[in-house]
Amino acid sequence: MNARDEEPAPGAGALISARGLRKSYGKAEALRGASLDLHEGEILAVTGPSGSGKSTLLHCLSGITRPDDGVVTYGKESLGLLPEQRLGELRRSEFGVVFQFGQLIPELTALDNVALPLLLAGTRRGPAHREAGEWLERFGARGQAGVRPGEMSGGQSQRVALARALVTGPRAVFADEPTGALDSLAGEQVMTALVHTARETGTAVLLITHDAQTAAYADREVWLRDGAVHSASAGVLAREAVRHEG
Amino acid sequence: MSTRHVLLGLLAAGPCHGYDLKRQYDARFPQARPLAYGQVYTTLQRLVRDGLAAVDGTDSDGGPERTLYRSTAEGAHELDRWAGEITAPAPFVTNEIFAKVVVSILVAAVPVQPGQDGQKPDAAAHLRAQRAAHMERMRELTALKTAPGADLSTVLSADYALVHLDADVRWMTTTAARIDTLTAEVNGT
Amino acid sequence: MKADIRIAWILARGSERREWYRILLTALGALAATDFALAAVAIAAVPGQVSIPYGHGLLDQPGQRAGVVLTLVLLLLPVVGFLGQCARVGAVHRHRRMAAMRLTGATPAQVRRIAAVESAFPSLPGAVAGVAVFAVVLASTGHTPYPAAWAGFAAVVLAVPVAAALVSVFALRHVVVSPLDQVRRTVPDPGRRTLFGFLLGSVLVSAAAMLVTLPADVRSAAFPLLVLALVFATGAGAIWAAGASAALLGRRLTLRARRPAVLIAAGRLAHDPWAAARTHAALLLVTVVGVGFVGVRAVLLADLRAKKDVLPTDMGFYTTGIGLAGSAVLIALAISLCGLAVGTAESLTTRRRGLAAQAAAGVPHGVLARAALLETALPLAPALLLAGVGGTVVYLAYAAIVGGPVSLLPLLLPVGVYAACLLAAATSLPLLRRAVHPSELRFT
Repeated sequence: MNARDEEPAPGAGALISARGLRKSYGKAEALRGASLDLHEGEILAVTGPSGSGKSTLLHCLSGITRPDDGVVTYGKESLGLLPEQRLGELRRSEFGVVFQFGQLIPELTALDNVALPLLLAGTRRGPAHREAGEWLERFGARGQAGVRPGEMSGGQSQRVALARALVTGPRAVFADEPTGALDSLAGEQVMTALVHTARETGTAVLLITHDAQTAAYADREVWLRDGAVHSASAGVLAREAVRHEG
Repeated sequence: MSTRHVLLGLLAAGPCHGYDLKRQYDARFPQARPLAYGQVYTTLQRLVRDGLAAVDGTDSDGGPERTLYRSTAEGAHELDRWAGEITAPAPFVTNEIFAKVVVSILVAAVPVQPGQDGQKPDAAAHLRAQRAAHMERMRELTALKTAPGADLSTVLSADYALVHLDADVRWMTTTAARIDTLTAEVNGT
Repeated sequence: MKADIRIAWILARGSERREWYRILLTALGALAATDFALAAVAIAAVPGQVSIPYGHGLLDQPGQRAGVVLTLVLLLLPVVGFLGQCARVGAVHRHRRMAAMRLTGATPAQVRRIAAVESAFPSLPGAVAGVAVFAVVLASTGHTPYPAAWAGFAAVVLAVPVAAALVSVFALRHVVVSPLDQVRRTVPDPGRRTLFGFLLGSVLVSAAAMLVTLPADVRSAAFPLLVLALVFATGAGAIWAAGASAALLGRRLTLRARRPAVLIAAGRLAHDPWAAARTHAALLLVTVVGVGFVGVRAVLLADLRAKKDVLPTDMGFYTTGIGLAGSAVLIALAISLCGLAVGTAESLTTRRRGLAAQAAAGVPHGVLARAALLETALPLAPALLLAGVGGTVVYLAYAAIVGGPVSLLPLLLPVGVYAACLLAAATSLPLLRRAVHPSELRFT
């Protein structure tokens, strides 16, 4: 029995939908027919062992890379059909991205880093800096405004990265192991800030993590194994049992 | 950890002497306290009384160590029910989960007897379902501790439970990944 | 566009020391280019025959003036090579910055524009400084340039930054930065295309300059053009030899090396053989010209001395002319050596973390230093040999035509250049000491 035949059409109310994603790096197959729905305003955790393709899934869903096969739908548009120009604009204004580390520009101060998406969109410096300052305040990083990333602690720079991801009021935030390099208290601060803000603004969050305590901040969890997505609930048991008999 | 169910699981492979049952128990659960002979026999007698096991004969030597016990159909049924049941998530339930996983693998290795229904316990699936239950509880605890205005003692007790549940989840994830190796080892013993 | 310039400015303000070195060096290069161009324009604007107190009457005749203008224009080529080396400073960091910006949502075109502004912007203050220096020199000689020159001056001051910007945009047009370079750390490999682009550009500029400044009749134009062709052919051959020998030596020696310094150097060469060729390109061209020049000079001087009594002007005229040409070659050589030093220093600082890790693991400092020098020395030897041969052919041809004695002195030039290259590479060794400090092992 082919699991692919059972996949439903892109769900109504899903903000971002992926169907049948395939992606290989050389000979290594990272994704083998992964399908996923991210709904408006929900916080979804994707867990799985290392090397299961979680980061690749995030990259495909946010338009950072194009999958070899499969469709990613955002609203009515299919990401695969959009030019790089439009994908960049999407990342700037409607998507936010947070990585484990290394995403801030070391030459810019925290304030400039957070203001960067606004500056790229053409906003003047004054309003951009004001907006950025407010977001830094919200994440408790106001004191870091004039500091460069090299002089901040891991937790502080992750909060700055979060502020940057949220400054344009995106509809979805993609976080790839945001607490991976942090200890538990710093991680708790980052996750609490992310979840509270996301709920306030109704932003959907796709959270990649291999840590159960971080995944526990989400509303829902799916499990990525061998490049395919399984929902982490009793539902999958029935399917597995059926497959064994088939 | 439910001793009666573990003994039922050990009997699933076939009839066994009381002495043998104790030896196998200690071998498969080295972390637990060694089972006292008295406890083994009391449990076996209760199983016989409840119709979940039966005496299959006695060796010429006589005496309780040499009594042969076997599992009954009701016993197999009860074992399936227990092994499939998800344990309520709380700190320190790993022993229980571990027992169910070991028993599931044991039973899965036994060829299907006539009269038993075709469902075989799947240890890996069980672990995944157990993990899902744990994650649900962890989500509740996380929401509790991050609620605005949560007092310190709530946060501390939630943290404690979360950390232990996390430890269980980690163990379950690794075990599910190792299930093939585990199956081979358990059947080889 | 305004937004891009604003962002480029903010980035420049926050730059660490390395960026400031690049800005300084690029500005110096732009200064030199502006001054050479301004001087050429000033001299070219002099009409007809005049009496100028400098250079033993060399600047009096339009014909000789054309030669001086040509030399000044040709001096621009090593400056361009130097500017190319400067552009490489901090290239790795710039690439990472661009990837981070792509991640934040900058479009590829935006990122290319910002990078072009970043790399071209130092040439503006450089050009302005060049004008200032030129004005000071003019004022100290008490000369006012001819009116025709002013238009040319304005053109030069505008052209240098604009040309720099255009070249940056052109060089970056195909660069597609993936937002994930941050995560996967790939470095772009410009390969051989920029090299042959530089070569082709040089040929075209030189040919154009020659055709404009030299007399128009076919027979007397043919010889210089032939020389030009020969010089560039051998130059191209020498550059190819540098790259090919780097690849060959790299492969062979990684298998057969017995000493650790050789192994490290060979590994580096095998990894990117054309980097050596790029660093040495301008130098090799200058060597070909230099060898040819020294030989031609010897023949010419001998010929002149023989004909001393029949000359229209005094010897001073000729010796000054030859001396000026010689100093032009020396200046070109000096600029190319600076380019080499910058390239070697940049290569060391880019690899800081790897070098620090090697030092921390116990590789002796001497081994690392020798490896750094060997990396320059190994591919350069066959290349300089070829360059020397090429230059020798030029001057032998000239000797054959004019019928003079053949001296072996020019053959010493490649040896001298080789020694000078090793010295230039050695100036970056103090950087090595700083690069292997354990604080470089940090991950930020």
